Amino acid sequence: MAEKLLEIQNLKTSFRIRDDYFAAVDDVTLTVNKNEVLAIVGESGCGKSALAFSIMGLHNRAKIEGNILFKDEDIANIAPSKLNKLRGNKMGMIFQDPLTALNPLMEIGDQIGEALLLHNKELSKSKRKERVIELLNKVGIPRPEYVYEQFPHELSGGMRQRVIIAIAIANKPDLLIADEPTTALDVTIQSQILDLIKDLKDEMDSGIVLITHDLGVVAEMADRVAVMYAGQIVELADVDTLFEEPLHPYTRSLFNSIPNTAEKQDKLHVIQGIVPSLQNLPREGCRFAPRIPWIDNSAHEAHPELHEVKPGHFVRCTCYKHFSFPEHSKEEQQHGVS
Amino acid sequence: MWKFSLRRILIMIPQLFFLSLLIFVLAKMMPGDALSGQIDPNIDPARIEELRIQMGWYDPWHQQYAAWVGNLLQGDLGDSFRFKMPVTELIGQRIANSFWLSVATLIFTYLIAIPLGITSGRFNDTWKDQLITGYSYLGFATPLFIFALVMLWLFGFQLQWFPSSGSIEPGLEPGTFEYFMSKFYHLLLPALSMALITTFSTIQYLRNDIVDTKQKEFILTARAKGASESRVYNKHILRNSLLPIAAFLGFEITGLIGGSIFIETIFSYPGMGQLLIESISLRDYSVVTATTLLFGMASILGALLSDIILSIIDPRIRIK
Amino acid sequence: MGAKSVNVEVKSNVVKSPSGISVIWREIVKDKIALISLIFLVLVTAFVYGVSLVLDQKEIVKVDLFSIYEPPNDEFILGTDYGGRDVFGQLIIGTRNSLSIAILVTVMTGVIGIVYGLVSGYFGGHIDNIMMRILDFFMILPFTMIVIAFVAIIPKYSVWTFSLIMTAFLWMGLARLVRSRTLAEKELDYIQAAKTLGTSNIKIIFKHVLPNVSSLIIVSMTLSLAGNIGLESGLSFLGFGFPENTPSLGTLLSYARNPQVLEHRWWIWVPASVMILLLMLCVNNVGTALRRATDARQRRG
Repeated sequence: MAEKLLEIQNLKTSFRIRDDYFAAVDDVTLTVNKNEVLAIVGESGCGKSALAFSIMGLHNRAKIEGNILFKDEDIANIAPSKLNKLRGNKMGMIFQDPLTALNPLMEIGDQIGEALLLHNKELSKSKRKERVIELLNKVGIPRPEYVYEQFPHELSGGMRQRVIIAIAIANKPDLLIADEPTTALDVTIQSQILDLIKDLKDEMDSGIVLITHDLGVVAEMADRVAVMYAGQIVELADVDTLFEEPLHPYTRSLFNSIPNTAEKQDKLHVIQGIVPSLQNLPREGCRFAPRIPWIDNSAHEAHPELHEVKPGHFVRCTCYKHFSFPEHSKEEQQHGVS
Repeated sequence: MWKFSLRRILIMIPQLFFLSLLIFVLAKMMPGDALSGQIDPNIDPARIEELRIQMGWYDPWHQQYAAWVGNLLQGDLGDSFRFKMPVTELIGQRIANSFWLSVATLIFTYLIAIPLGITSGRFNDTWKDQLITGYSYLGFATPLFIFALVMLWLFGFQLQWFPSSGSIEPGLEPGTFEYFMSKFYHLLLPALSMALITTFSTIQYLRNDIVDTKQKEFILTARAKGASESRVYNKHILRNSLLPIAAFLGFEITGLIGGSIFIETIFSYPGMGQLLIESISLRDYSVVTATTLLFGMASILGALLSDIILSIIDPRIRIK
Repeated sequence: MGAKSVNVEVKSNVVKSPSGISVIWREIVKDKIALISLIFLVLVTAFVYGVSLVLDQKEIVKVDLFSIYEPPNDEFILGTDYGGRDVFGQLIIGTRNSLSIAILVTVMTGVIGIVYGLVSGYFGGHIDNIMMRILDFFMILPFTMIVIAFVAIIPKYSVWTFSLIMTAFLWMGLARLVRSRTLAEKELDYIQAAKTLGTSNIKIIFKHVLPNVSSLIIVSMTLSLAGNIGLESGLSFLGFGFPENTPSLGTLLSYARNPQVLEHRWWIWVPASVMILLLMLCVNNVGTALRRATDARQRRG
């Protein structure tokens, strides 16, 4: 049975702009279990990275409300000293851009070694070096003794990302958060990195939060999927259900936007409008409504809630019930292919 | 790293060459004889012409240039006409004075600027930062010589805390403790004045660099590893931000040269800067040429030093 | 609820993006210090230029041995100097002269720096290499010393010569900035697009690249104006700027090289010092406000 690892309850992360607070993550409730991949999908600006950073406590100046229960301990606003014992130890993070995420002036070996040093004070220097070499091997980096002494700018993008992964898993974390781990990489490298992450997950029995905007990655990696829009979860389901029966108009629009290589398309489907900026977010009513203007207002809820449509399948608002695209045919074809 | 340094030194050679060419041309344009200092610039121009022809002034220029450079390489900078002695003797004592002044200035600058810059950067947007930034902003807009004048007026004359001129109390035995202390005492005010002005820009620069580095992604990685704030600062932020300061050392030297001209004049401190000004008013042009040449060389060497230090510290440059 | 027609107008709050001038103006107004500085500068400039038209420079500098070293009194607002000349009058004319030279030098270094940077950055490759080597050489030379050396040898020395000498060794900073910016802009698609359309290089440089570098130029030139005021005063202070018969802020300060004056006759050099400080500060304030206006991350307005 699924063992709960991370439980996020009503999380609200707000940033201060001039004199007001604006919530980038607005009332999010999620669970992550051991040995599972929870994917969080959404466009840029939907708050998924903000969510990831909130879990790790990496925001500089943000107001965090709600609870983040990591193995039943609320880490949402705990003291930094306590958080630091968990970070890099039981919780690891893989960053998006491997070039900027590494210190340009420190050797690779030292950077990975730092993660070990901070949580295993009893390790001697030579033992530490051994372990780093082990880790480099594990993430698939050739000639680890040589790479140990190199600097980030000497490595390729794929290698750098492997180093980031090595840092994240150095202490066998229970929870791994991967923030768009393959976005900055070539397509050919992407699948290698994803496979690596999957293997590591199985080996360490960890829970993974995978942040991405790429539905292809979701299909390959995820066990469950949460779709985010404008700071809220709009749909939550296991991956098969989501791909077979997406319900929320946003999810369906996302799928619709994927170019269909099997059928000839005259025009690519585009979701009307743009993602609202943090300050311009409508805080009342269904936030996706402005982008499906052909749907009547009465279809939306005044205070859209997450409804459990089927066991384990949640959808926000009621606009999904009678939702359809202006051109029906495109959508049906889409379902046939995926 | 050696390859880089070697390449860099090779670049320096044409720079030195062009400098010497420039100085040579300037010297030829000066009245009298600026290359060897044998002719009095104040005598009858016709007589000057005679002497010049005698001395080979109108020989082909590359011959003259070669002769001059030849002399230089042997340590012969010509003679001072005013003082009837080789320029090297004249410069000797003064170079030492200027050197110590520069060293003291650099030490003061870094002693003051680095802690303030770090504080300002680390606690940016708090009152500490605003205070320090405000202070450095004001100072930045103050020209060196005005600041020095005010310092002299305030500390030298009004409060009489420091001597107001010279480099040493007359009559002291060299090598004694009193000699050393007096030298040091005379150094303080000029060095402090020059240092304080330099700190303004250094503080701003360091602070801005720290603020920039703080936002970089690898700082997040460090935090995600579970590093404490102080470790993040010491191991990551500072190391990356102090690097450009070290590299600036060379440019500081160039600034010191320009500054020393003002400082030494205002404080009547017998160094190279004061020598330059004096010799112009005394129309002792061979000294002017020699001093200018030496200053130029010091600048070029300073830039070289900067680049080499930078290459040592920054692996991105070292490893191509 | 059936799907409505697709041609429904999407209601959007389109926010009009503000024009460049209004952004700059708003930034200056929001920053009280910059606003006060700007007003001060305008007033001072108007005052000194206006009054200078009325004052006669020759009269002011005429030596009057009966009024030597008088402290401020009813007849002479700021007293007199060692030649019995009115300090206040010299201050006014001096400020005008210093401002004029500073502006002149700023403009000249601006033109040279911009063109040099644009050409070097745009054409890149060998041209850029050579031009940068030359620039590096100029940058290494210690400014004060070189200018002094040049001034010492130029026989017929005038305001123009002085400005030219200063310009010759000050253009490098701006050129460097413009060049690196141009290098970056050159890679952007809109330049490539213009090239594909067959636009001539000159047109591309001046119609496309230059406007995008203009904010950098404006900020840089304003800040260098402040610096030039200081530089001119410094050089005149040492005696290598304006000749004595042409008062400038620096020449007034040069009297302070005499310890007697420094210690006892403050009215000669203190007002000029204050004026230089205020001018430089104010120009700096406006310049920093401008810089904030061009860097959206730091805006206050």
